Amino acid sequence: MHTRSAILFAVALSLPGSEGLAQMSRAALVKQSDIIFVGTVTQLGAVAVPEVPASDRTVVVRVDQVLEKPAAVALATGDSVTVQTVRAGSLKPSTQATFYTTGWIFGRGVAVREVGHEPGHSPVAVADQKEAVARARLEVNDAELKAHMEKAAMVVSGRVEQVRPAELAAARPRPKRISEHDPDWQEAIIRVEDGIKGAQAGEQVVVRFPGSRDVAWVGTPRFAVGQEGTFVLHKDSTTGLPLTTMGGQSVPAYTALHKLDVLPKQDATRVRALIRKP
Amino acid sequence: MRTGVIVVAVALGVACEAPVQQMPPARPAGVRVVDLIPRSLSGETWQDAEPFLALYASNPKLMAASAFTPNPGGSESATAPIFVSDDGGDSWTLRNTLPSQSMTADITHAVGGTAPVLYAGIMKVPGFPLNELKADDFLSATTMRLQASRSDIDQPFVRTSAVENADRVYVGLNDFEAPDGRSATVDVSLDGGATYASRRIETRGTVGQDGPSIRPAVAQDHTVYVAYFGWRSTTGSDVTSDVVVVRDDNGATGTTSFRDLLDPSDHLPGRLVGTHVTIPWSNAPTLGQERIGSTLSIAVDALHSDTVYLAWADRAGTGDIYTVHVRRSTDRGATWSGDLRTLTNATDASLAVSTNGTVGLLYQQVTGSGAASRWVTRLEQSRDGFATHRDVVLAAVPAATPPFQFLPYIGDYNCLFTRGNQFLGVFSANNTPDSTNFPQGVVYQRRVDFPTHRLLDGSGAPVDVSIDPFFFSVPVLP
Repeated sequence: MHTRSAILFAVALSLPGSEGLAQMSRAALVKQSDIIFVGTVTQLGAVAVPEVPASDRTVVVRVDQVLEKPAAVALATGDSVTVQTVRAGSLKPSTQATFYTTGWIFGRGVAVREVGHEPGHSPVAVADQKEAVARARLEVNDAELKAHMEKAAMVVSGRVEQVRPAELAAARPRPKRISEHDPDWQEAIIRVEDGIKGAQAGEQVVVRFPGSRDVAWVGTPRFAVGQEGTFVLHKDSTTGLPLTTMGGQSVPAYTALHKLDVLPKQDATRVRALIRKP
Repeated sequence: MRTGVIVVAVALGVACEAPVQQMPPARPAGVRVVDLIPRSLSGETWQDAEPFLALYASNPKLMAASAFTPNPGGSESATAPIFVSDDGGDSWTLRNTLPSQSMTADITHAVGGTAPVLYAGIMKVPGFPLNELKADDFLSATTMRLQASRSDIDQPFVRTSAVENADRVYVGLNDFEAPDGRSATVDVSLDGGATYASRRIETRGTVGQDGPSIRPAVAQDHTVYVAYFGWRSTTGSDVTSDVVVVRDDNGATGTTSFRDLLDPSDHLPGRLVGTHVTIPWSNAPTLGQERIGSTLSIAVDALHSDTVYLAWADRAGTGDIYTVHVRRSTDRGATWSGDLRTLTNATDASLAVSTNGTVGLLYQQVTGSGAASRWVTRLEQSRDGFATHRDVVLAAVPAATPPFQFLPYIGDYNCLFTRGNQFLGVFSANNTPDSTNFPQGVVYQRRVDFPTHRLLDGSGAPVDVSIDPFFFSVPVLP
């Protein structure tokens, strides 16, 4: 943390209206937020657009700089945002602060719910704050990935050599259900090039994934022959059949269903460092 | 005693105030088409497919809508959104009130007898269990309340009615846990969702299950019709199916419900309106990038429950990919017409019957081929059982772009209602802001530039074309 930001953050913790922050690190604020901006309070008990209900907890904030937001959200410097604060009376007019928020109501304007705020930034400090939030986001992402890998059975860097339909029907006690949400399980056979956790270089592992393009599986990683990457693999507890066959042998089946389970190959170094990190 | 079917209402005026900017050329009076994506989400590029709508008899201003629209906060968000309007559909906002991670895997909803109560049936992410939900005030940002849940179901389809002070909720669904593979089921609640009872409506043998579409329709006298596909056998990816309609004359209040309509061939409950039809079950892009296999709609004349319309799609075998059929019964489902409408390479048929007896048929049809193909969305109206009809093209958009992100591309279903002198509905389509794509005109809430046919984000930068949900209203034929 930069010195200036550290001082400001420490100051923020001591200010009235930011008691909640005393229990939350910046990383914790970032983790719970998807819209983060520096802004200045312009109205209390008011709303920026009529579709949002005004209350003693709503304030209007002029955006001075957007630090993080989803791509879909239209929010820019100079916009007025309705903020539903954690606690009524926690902000005063003309207060400038960094607002950590989640989306509340999207209409003609954006309305957000406050997770927390850090008051007291000068224009000079805005750049520092942007850097600090970006750094906190990296910390959050790393912590999430580390926790995710700790729960995994295997972390490997490798290459997909084969994709085949998963043979699950024969072992099931009842007929296959026909549904548009059917995952259409496939199996990718991955040659391990770097066994980062739970595997050795040269091994082959079988990873099940949904071949379906149904909406229920959108965002779930898929595999293709020749694909290279760093893969976080979990013992299959989804399909109901923990084993599969490879070369006539019964072997464990794995899954990689979370977006963090499939990373670029060049992330292997970062992944290894995170695993080793205490 | 207050008795009323919620989805069909007395005639109420609907304000037609255009809310926002960047209007295309003037449109014929009375027809509205509104893109639901709000201005504050101008940068969104998601495939907002499979739209649905709920509206009140008692308050024409209030509406709820849904689609496969994600929480803008991202894939790890604990809630999913619905759209709401408090000005009769002229403008819409997005609120994250569904207890599903970022998005649902299926959703339909219907209003309660008293505004602003809303019921929803969703397949929740992750795991995809059925959640039967209720909001006491769908305009609030409070997460909808879970009333019942179970796993192994498909396509919950919600309809409601009101009797005295209790809402009745009918959730058609395909229940894979039903005995003997007779999976067509209606979850019935007679107490506003506090308790549900699963009523099995399939009485014949199946291939191991029925089709996913189980569609209830409720009349004002509490007659409840339900349509479903009785799947009898499969050959490859083709399913041989019956098209079945069951009926309950007392709101499904008894323990042996939906037994009031027998088929003369076997004297079993469930009139066989179509027999041995071929359903091409394709969970891959097949018709204009859309999958096919579950198109089914039923609508009853709410004031005259003897009259009921049915639409389904199958493969007729005439070189078609998928063909919509529309039929009618005027004797409570006992006998049925032949095809009143036969629409080749069409899907997403939705029916509604106005209080003056006019039937509305919403459908989406692929015309042309290859890069020149279009998804044409039409509303047809008829006052004489489709001996004659008048149609309105609501949209005629490229079918080959944008490329699909997932399936369904535009939806396994869309939605049509009637209230007073209006048909109101939602459909999903390519959102290119080109007025030639929307012959009746269109209003965008999100930022667009009609002269250049571009979508714009909050900063004015171009945004990729995607699939958006569109609300519409069309005057009922007088």
